[in-house]
Formats: sequence, structure tokens, C-alpha cells
Amino acid sequence: MVAPLYLEPKLDPPLTSLLASASLLHRLVDGLGSPLNVVVPERFAENVTRFRSVYRRHHLEGTVYFAHKANRSSALVRRLASTPAAVDVASLEELQHALACGFTPDRIGATGPKEPEFLWLAARTGATVNVDGRSELEALAALVHRHGLPRTQVLLRLSDFSGPAVRILTHRSRFGVPESELSALLDAAERHRDAVEVVGVSYHLDTTSLEEKAVALEGCVRAMDECRARGMRPRVIDIGGGFGVNYLAHGAQWEHYTSQLALAALGRRQALAWRNHSYGLSSEGGTLRGTLQLYPSYRPVAGADYLDELLRSPAPTLGRPLATLLLENLYDLHVEPGRALLDQCGLTLSRVLETRREADGTHVVRLAMNADDCTLEEHGILLDPILLRRDRPPEAADGSAAPFGVYLHGNLCLESDLITRRLVFLPRLPAPGDLLAFPNTAGYCMDFNAHHAQRRPSARKVAAYRNADGWQWRLDDQYWPIHSTGDADEI
Amino acid sequence: MKYDSILETVGDTPLVRIAPEVHGLPNIDLYAKLEFCNPFGSLKDRAAWNMVRPGLGSAVEKGSQIVELSSGNTAKALAAIAGMHGLGFKSVTNRMKIPEIKELLLLLGAEIEELPGQSECLDPTDSEDPLTLFHRSLAEPGSAYLHTDQYYNDRNPEAHESGTGPEIVADLGGRAPDWFVAGVGTAGSSTGVARALRKHGPEVEVVGLVAEKSDFIPGIRNIDEVQEVGIFDPLTYDTIEKITSTEAIDGMLTLVRRCGILAGPTGGAAYFGAVRHLREVAPRLTGTATAVFIVCDRVESYLSYIKKRRPDLFGRQRTSASVGSLSPEDASRAAGIGVAEAQEWMAKENPLVVDMRSPYAYAALHIEGSMNIVDELFEDLVRGGLPFSKARPVLLACPVGEQSLKYAALLTRLGHPDVRSLAGGIIAWRDAGAPLVRE
Repeated sequence: MVAPLYLEPKLDPPLTSLLASASLLHRLVDGLGSPLNVVVPERFAENVTRFRSVYRRHHLEGTVYFAHKANRSSALVRRLASTPAAVDVASLEELQHALACGFTPDRIGATGPKEPEFLWLAARTGATVNVDGRSELEALAALVHRHGLPRTQVLLRLSDFSGPAVRILTHRSRFGVPESELSALLDAAERHRDAVEVVGVSYHLDTTSLEEKAVALEGCVRAMDECRARGMRPRVIDIGGGFGVNYLAHGAQWEHYTSQLALAALGRRQALAWRNHSYGLSSEGGTLRGTLQLYPSYRPVAGADYLDELLRSPAPTLGRPLATLLLENLYDLHVEPGRALLDQCGLTLSRVLETRREADGTHVVRLAMNADDCTLEEHGILLDPILLRRDRPPEAADGSAAPFGVYLHGNLCLESDLITRRLVFLPRLPAPGDLLAFPNTAGYCMDFNAHHAQRRPSARKVAAYRNADGWQWRLDDQYWPIHSTGDADEI
Repeated sequence: MKYDSILETVGDTPLVRIAPEVHGLPNIDLYAKLEFCNPFGSLKDRAAWNMVRPGLGSAVEKGSQIVELSSGNTAKALAAIAGMHGLGFKSVTNRMKIPEIKELLLLLGAEIEELPGQSECLDPTDSEDPLTLFHRSLAEPGSAYLHTDQYYNDRNPEAHESGTGPEIVADLGGRAPDWFVAGVGTAGSSTGVARALRKHGPEVEVVGLVAEKSDFIPGIRNIDEVQEVGIFDPLTYDTIEKITSTEAIDGMLTLVRRCGILAGPTGGAAYFGAVRHLREVAPRLTGTATAVFIVCDRVESYLSYIKKRRPDLFGRQRTSASVGSLSPEDASRAAGIGVAEAQEWMAKENPLVVDMRSPYAYAALHIEGSMNIVDELFEDLVRGGLPFSKARPVLLACPVGEQSLKYAALLTRLGHPDVRSLAGGIIAWRDAGAPLVRE
């Protein structure tokens, strides 16, 4: 038995209080089946406030757009509609959903690859369209002309920004127009000025690096200048998302764990994962090769704090802090956080079906869920689930009150269906009927990949909220903001 | 001394004794090997020159570019050597963390490429990890690179095995020291010196220093990063100890302020690590023992690194003519003026309108007839006294009217009779529909 390596999740209120209500969570899974997703709209609104306070601190105007794709929940989007935030939709269905949840089109931005139907509804209602390139701009203008649609506000999505003196080898992006082709894009926008109005430019970089984002933001300011020089009056710079979440409570546990992973890959200690999986690391003649294919689960600066740090960073050539640069050029800042806005907004519950001891001393825990019901592993996020025992006092005298290393197996007939390949350490061995709660799954890890393989139904979702009688719940589509009293806020 | 080439001056660096009252260790002679005396400023000069030498002839013939994964001293030395031989140099790096080094490299004519940061949305099937990208670019058809490969190239430790190590032994009268302490970066110097010292005294104890994982000390890797180094072999070291950037800077301050040794943080880390390691054993020694640590480079390149971690060391005196010195009463005496009122005032009294935003923002859009003095410059100007005539009223404008209000208060305290701040700033001006021009 190896010494336990814990990765304790970071838990904030109200998730802590919800997890303390184990009997409610057991009753919910009894009634609605395993797995079960729980979302917490109250915390979602609080996260919007955190982002807004960064705006206030820097005196910036502009809007926080929630990237809807991170979670399909109606309860969350409806709750969002009663905050000052807006919503970023990436499909026709998400646009319809946002409209149905109470968002007026002036608070909706359409991004991503778009079918003509999606473009038509966005233009018809008056949502802002984040245009991915020249052909999309032409298609939109043609739609507006042909169907007599109102003039549509557009943001031009740019990519491939070049920094000063130093070439940054940014990952190639599928999206946006290279900064160098901006002129041609603006020519097209000018040709179609009766159909589209350029209100600004945008970027989204898939990187955790502040420096890369600073280069892109300054590139946007220069692009806005080119718009102004052509007599346009753009106001918005949309810097996309990617603000991140800190999933773990203790940095030291994360650092120790990743060091041990490196040693395991070098063969200097026992494996830490199923079939010696080593998350992208390998040994070549005793030297460590490869890159750790994991999300940085412990991130001391994430979410609204990351935005704050970005805004404090100097512009690479103009030197001013980025917030000052935006402010003095009179630009509004739009952000599109998905995961970061959903931090601490939900959890995924699963029933334990079976516990089995293996020959090597480890245990296998079979769960009533599969890896696609809770995609922490798919996103490279490592954290420990929380054991919610059923009908048993905390200190049962069955000798199980010792840490156990377990592998979490899913319910599909696939060798690869492990909830995580990592050997997970639990403070005691679970028993059939217990629940495992995977915290902080609301951002991308709840329903983005869910499917119906083996005719299994996808997980139900409930919204949990509090009133004077404690925790209450409704099915996700039965929840409206009027139900959680006490945290009403105004736009 | 006369030389034909600067490269002949690589090596033969001094070994300087640290005064016992400074380190306070009984029974120990502690020596600093001053590698910053190398011509390009660091111990990496030795490895760089030794690694480049074999391929240099054919590189010159083919006009190859020298390439290395480095964000520091190796890059600096290679850039200088490349320039001397009419070759280009490209430094590929995760991130240039030391701005002074980055600027120095650009000054030396180096090309810098930075590898992308970690992806926010993880793609486990991504085959483009930054190092793979780098190695692929080296192998592109038609590419002519001389890759010195400092993390794997045995000529890196060899430079120290044949140079640094034997020099220490010679300076100690043919004996190896009892302890040798060095930071582990490429592991080249510690590996090479350890090999040389052990030939003369197998009982020498080698202490390697690595950084905490969440910390950063230039030139020192953390405990996981050293595993990625081909030259690194844990058996080289009798002990591997962790060191923090705070300790490195403390050690550096002792060397800089008390020993006249203008070492950078890496040298500071080695000094601190040496003293910490020896503090326990020194009192138990019966005779005198010797210890050597390496001072890798000089302090000047790390001023911004130190400033970020120890701003107290650079404390600037506040003058009375700065916004920071304003009392709440001063601030409350400042006069703000709304947009409509300001327009009227401007038409009647023709105040001097000063826009405190950056020249870039000013050039894009501004109030007609205004002049531009960016806030940073304004602060410097005011420190010397009132920069405007008292005879003409002044309207200060910044983005939201916050800074301009402070400066209006300051100018008022300095005796200007009529300074006002545009309330809500240029943003309120724009929102009120008042004209902004681009000239």
C-alpha cells in the first residue's frame, strides 16, 4: 500500500453547505437516479459580481458574457438573466435557449461556427455577431440584404497577433482572421456598411499565458485604431475567456503529486494510475520527456483575479497597464468566461455499485456513471471526490476507517471507461449504496460530452437553492429566479 | 595582458575568500568562484564556447544559425559568439522572465522565439507540445541550424570538468575542497566540477540547489524540471536541497553589501545554500575545512527581478510635490467641472486643456485645442514646481476624472489659482456627445 496522495478539492460556500446535507443528496439520487448533476444558481450570480468588481476597480465599462456552452442548464441561464451579465451563444439552439430564458438580444453575442439559420435568427432579433472571417461577414451581409433584416452589430474576431521583437509561437487557432488580413476584412465591412456595423474587435486565445494575451489585447487596440482611421466608431474590445479555475485546496498537494507523477514516469516509484498511465510524461534513458497533459488544477490566480492581473499587465509596446490603455482609448471591455463563471456552481453525484479488492492491494470502485457523465479526466482536472456514506455513522467499526487507494470504474463495457485513470485516495473504503460527489463540475465537466451509449439515459439535473427552511431543489427546467428568494439583484 | 580574441579570456576566474566574520562559520574557509569574470558575464561562457567550437567551422561555411533553448546566460554568450563569427543566433524559450536579459539579447542581435503557454482547454491528443514543436523546427528540410543542445550536450559539463574544476583545485594548492555548492540549472557546471573535484578528492561533498516548484530563481531549475535535463544525474549530488527566491536575494545582499561581490540571485542562492548547509556541521569540525560555491553572474541584469520581490530595497523618498503626499483636505479642495459647464467655461475663459492620457490614445481622439502631457511625465514635471502660468486657468482631463482631480488638488496646493478637473473625464465627455477630434 502506497502512502496516500490526496488532491483535496477547493470548496467554497454554498457548495460546502450543500455537501453537508448528505441525506438530501442521497434522497435526490434515490429519486432521480445516478448520476445526478446539481447546479447552484446563487453562486453563479455571485461569480458575476466578482467579475463586475474587477471592472469597477479599473473604472472600465463593458459586459461580462457567459459562454453558454460550458453548461446546458436552464436554471443557470435564467438566473444569469437577472444579473447584469450577458450571454455568449455558440449555436442556434443556445440562442433560442437564451432568448427563452429571458435575455433580450442586446445582451446576447453569437460566436463560433454559424449556420445560415443561426445567423438569420441572430440578425433578426438584433444580437451582436462575432464574425469569424470575411466569408462569414459576406454571408451575413447577403442575408441582411435578401431578407430585409436590421443592420447587424458585428465584432471582428482576430488571431495571430505579433509581439514586439519577439516571435511568440502561439498554437494555431481554428478561429479568427490573422491580424495581417484585417485591412481586407475592413474593406468588406465598409462595402457592406448598410448591412453591418463594426462595433469592435475580439480575440480568444487558448492559453494560460498572460504575456500572449497582452500582445493580443494591444493588437486589438491597434486594430481599433485602423477602424477609427476609416471613420468607423468602434467601442468594444472582446478578449474572450480562458480565465481559469482553481480546483484544489492545497498547492502543496498538487506540487507533491505532480513530482510523484514525474518519478513514476521515470520508474522510480510505484505507478500512480491505471496501467501505468503517466499523463504525457515518459522516460528516455532516465531523463524525463514529454509535457504533463493536465490542467493546472491548482492555480493561485484564476477567474476574476486572473482578469485583474491581465488588466494590470503592461501593454508590450505601449507600456501602459492594459486597463489604462483600454480606458484612455475610451474602449469598453467584453469578456467571455465560461468555466470561471461556473466555479463552485455545481457537483456531480454518483452511486457506488460495488467495491472489489484486487490482487495488488488496490480496490476497484464501480460507479453508476461513466467517464462522459463527468469529464474531469477528459479536461485533465485531477481532484478527489467526496464520500457521502449512506445510513452509517461516520466511525463504523468495520476496520475501513483507513485511507484506501481506489480505481473508479464506469458503467460502460469499455476497458477505457474509468472516471479517472488516477489511483484516487479516499479516507475510507466506500460501500455499495454510498455516494461519491465530484465537486466543481459545472464548467464543461457536467454535460458537454454526455451521451446515450448503451441506451443509458443522460444524467438529470437539479437546481439547488436555499430559503428560510434550508436547501430546496427543483428540476433544472422547473427553476426560475423567482424561486430563490433573498438573493434577488438588479441589472 | 594582450589577447587576439575575447574568447581567449574565457575561464581562469578568481577564487575569492569570504571573510569569516561575514559568513560566521567556525573552522571553515569559504571561497566564491567568481564566474562573472568571464567575458560575456557568466559561467555559461565556458559551456557555450566549448559546445559551439566543434561545429563552428562548418556552420560558418554553410551560414547556419546557432539555436539554443535558453532564456539567460547561455543565450547571451552564444549570441556574442555568433556575432563574432558572422552567424545569426536564435534563442527559443518558454518565457523570457528577466526583461534586462531579453533586451540585452535583442541588443546583441539575437532572434527570440517564445513557446506558447499551456492550453486553457486541454486537448489530451495534442501532439504539439512546445518542445516537440521546437525539435520539429530544427529538422525542417533546408534548415541550417547549429543546435548546441545545452541540456544534453556532454561538452557542457566537459567545459567545467576541464576548466572550472581544475582551476579550483589548483587555487586550493592541489586539493579538492571538502564541500562544493552550486545551483542546478542545466546541471553542466555542477556535474563537470564534481567530476574534476572527485578525481582529486573522492570524499568531496557536492550540494546541488534547486528551487521550490512555485518559485523562480534565474538559472536554477525546480525539482521536477531538473528531471527533464539529460545531463542531470541525481548520483552527482550527495545532497539536493531546496532554496527560495527570498533566500537567494538575502544571500545576494550579503555578497553585494558586505563582500563587494556584485553577484546576481543565483550566486546569492549558492552562498545562502552553502552557509545554511555548513552551519550544522561547522562547529563539530576539528580542523579547518574548505568549501567552494559558484557565483554565476552579476547583479545588474536582475534589478527588475529584485524590485518585484523586494520593493523595499528601492524605496524612493516621497517629495511634497507628488499626488501621494496629498492630505484629504487638499483632495477635497480640488474642483471638478461637468462636461456642459466645462464647454461653457472653455468658450468664455479659454483655459489651457491638458489631456493626461498616453500619446497613443490622445492621437486617436482628443478635445480640440488640448495639449497632451501623459500622467507619468506630468508627475515628474510637477515634482519640480508649477509647470503653468498662474495667469491662465487650466482644465485637466484623464479617462474618468479620478487622476485629474488629484493633480488639480496638487496644482492648487502648489499655488495655482484656477485649476479644474473634467468630471467623469474624456469618457463622460464622449458620452455627453461633446466633440472629439482626430487630427
